[in-house]
Amino acid sequence: MNTGLTDNGSGSPGTQASRPASLDSFIIGPEDRILVTGAAGFIGSRVVESLLDRGFRNVVCLVRPSSDLARLETSIDNRPPGTGVEVLRGNLLSRADCEAASKGVAVIYHLAAGTGEKSFPDAFMNSVVTTRNLLEASAQYACLKRFVLVSSFAVYSNRQKSRQLDETCPIEAHPEHSGSAYCFAKVKQEQIVAELSKKSSIPYVVVRPGSVYGPGHTGITARVGISAFGPFLHLGGSNKVPFTYVDNCAEAVVLAGLIRGIEGEIFNVLDDDLPSSRQFLKLYKKHVRDFSSAYVPHVLSYALCYLWEKYAQYSDGQLPPAFNRRRWYAEWRRTNYTNAKLKQRLGWVPKVSSNEALRLYFKSCVQRGQHA
Amino acid sequence: MLKVGIVGCGKIADAHATQILRIGGCEIVGVCDREPLMARQLFERFPVKAYFSDVADLVTEARPDVIHITTPPESHFDIARFCLDHGCHVYVEKPFTIDTNRAQQLINLAEEKGLKLTAGHNLQFTHAARRLRALVAQGYLGGRPVHMESYYGYDLGNAAYVRALLGDKNHWVRRLPGKLLHNIISHGIARIAEFLTGNDIRVTVQGSTSQLLEGIGENEIVDELRVIISDSNGTTAYFTFSSQIRPLLHEFRIYGPKNGLVLDQDHEVVLRLRGSKFKSYADYFIPPVLFARQYLGELLRNAKLFMTQDFHMDAGMKALIESFYRSIRENAPVPISYREILLTSRIMGSIFDQLRQDILDEPSATRSKANSAFQGESVVIETVCR
Repeated sequence: MNTGLTDNGSGSPGTQASRPASLDSFIIGPEDRILVTGAAGFIGSRVVESLLDRGFRNVVCLVRPSSDLARLETSIDNRPPGTGVEVLRGNLLSRADCEAASKGVAVIYHLAAGTGEKSFPDAFMNSVVTTRNLLEASAQYACLKRFVLVSSFAVYSNRQKSRQLDETCPIEAHPEHSGSAYCFAKVKQEQIVAELSKKSSIPYVVVRPGSVYGPGHTGITARVGISAFGPFLHLGGSNKVPFTYVDNCAEAVVLAGLIRGIEGEIFNVLDDDLPSSRQFLKLYKKHVRDFSSAYVPHVLSYALCYLWEKYAQYSDGQLPPAFNRRRWYAEWRRTNYTNAKLKQRLGWVPKVSSNEALRLYFKSCVQRGQHA
Repeated sequence: MLKVGIVGCGKIADAHATQILRIGGCEIVGVCDREPLMARQLFERFPVKAYFSDVADLVTEARPDVIHITTPPESHFDIARFCLDHGCHVYVEKPFTIDTNRAQQLINLAEEKGLKLTAGHNLQFTHAARRLRALVAQGYLGGRPVHMESYYGYDLGNAAYVRALLGDKNHWVRRLPGKLLHNIISHGIARIAEFLTGNDIRVTVQGSTSQLLEGIGENEIVDELRVIISDSNGTTAYFTFSSQIRPLLHEFRIYGPKNGLVLDQDHEVVLRLRGSKFKSYADYFIPPVLFARQYLGELLRNAKLFMTQDFHMDAGMKALIESFYRSIRENAPVPISYREILLTSRIMGSIFDQLRQDILDEPSATRSKANSAFQGESVVIETVCR
């Protein structure tokens, strides 16, 4: 990748030539009703924008009662009359809200999930129970053509023999031992989608984005390093970071709901020309804020995770098992990634190059005063 | 082997299951949640024998000796009464019930059935809290407590619970008589209730919504509370609940006629406050050295607890559960007296009654006046609870 981060002068994403997907290859038409849950979120608002850009005129945005609509409003404002966007405030824990939202819907993009929660029950409730409610509600109406679950790389155990991680790699078999409520909830969420979709004959597709970043996102992914103990510990080293810029990710999510013949498939979403962890950190320090960091070699980070895990077990959880070998494999093992399936089956190409995406991200970090 | 059941499989149930499993001589025979998925996720993550979506099935099929109720507070009374009716001892998470009448009914029923009850005032059983209690029992204060101060800080910033609360106008916390306060302040009030000896309790309340909450359009939640409590034996207490003070204190101070004690819950430290003074300039130099010595002692004590794997985040809950189970096995007194449970409930009820009159039922148009009055003009309402 080019690390020069040159400004193209437009202030907006530099687009690459993308292979336009033909309307004939879509399972729905522009007037079909589409539901986007989590529509006010970081990715959801871009998904709505992408759908509207593609000419879909019957988009229902489900947002939490407390959601800040600023992002979504940015995506839907200044559209011509007849754009057809409806914003519903509701709670996916309410079956009535799920029924109201999913009525007459042809495609559901399910992005709403419990994020940032340390509690396993909270994460589970806001990811799994909500997903169950939505699937059962939508099954009542026989018009759903596809359910798109936006999952995460967090589900992968990354313990395959090869260093290559693709969609065929196993997911975490014991997410309850991962120390991550998010991992647990996402694995269980995928399981319930598979289970209920089979039971109710709902066609579904799973999208697993890597580390989604872009303007509006905060902080540095733990795949690069952590600052939980004061100084920033750089753990990624020369690992490639499976970044996907938010607009590129949204494009992949949208295509996963539209393209014919991909029912039951899983798609990893990550950009081309991924920076290494070291490259990213260097650029971040140069363009956003300089701070001291200490590199922790992989052998040492593995040993520390192992010791932490053993002590957590030995002490009956006096230290919570936040660091363990499962997490090390999932986040810090040297891994190669591929987006070949995404390109081949969905015709996806990144709208924004990694170079341009990083420039936009760092610029927004500076503007918002966000730091690691 | 004591057979244990848990009703309600949300966040706090995780803490209960974890601590129960650290105690010898007991097993979790079943967990229950009316949402089967929630019951199943707890069942899958802990060594639990079965899961249920109906408490009746838990009671009849798993036949637990003791049941922990970790559901939202509105349901505590009905579930606890059902469990007591079916011969189970009951640990009820805080707040015990939504009002004192229901608390009294449960206690009467437990006594009638020869069963044990306790409330989830687990912060009363942390290592530091137990040390303070032991010092008071040894007479360190030099007599009956004269005055107490209890601080309970609450961070509105990052808690997922508060985000859920603020976002959902139908959240169960909003349906409680005391709303947010109702679900939290029992820890701080119980500290005071434990040491009140008189029967007539006078409660004076001032409450307001912080500018932080007002700024995001939240006018129903009182997150700044100041309470003065006194009993008929002349003991007084201040209770402070705040989302805005920094540091967010969790502290209890108790003063007797001779000496005082400070419980710093955030740092698991208990300090002795000497009532007597040193002569002249010595009072400027010797006490800091004595305080330093006390802090060093507390540091070493905490380090020892950590090294011996007895310094878990929920150590207080483990100690309370252990003590409660011991009272069941040995038919010994319960760890938290029923008087303390009722007194905590009465004081909280009095606080919420006053807030309802003074603030909670006040139209939002006049709320700002009440808030500004909080600076020094507000009318103080007193109630006496007997």
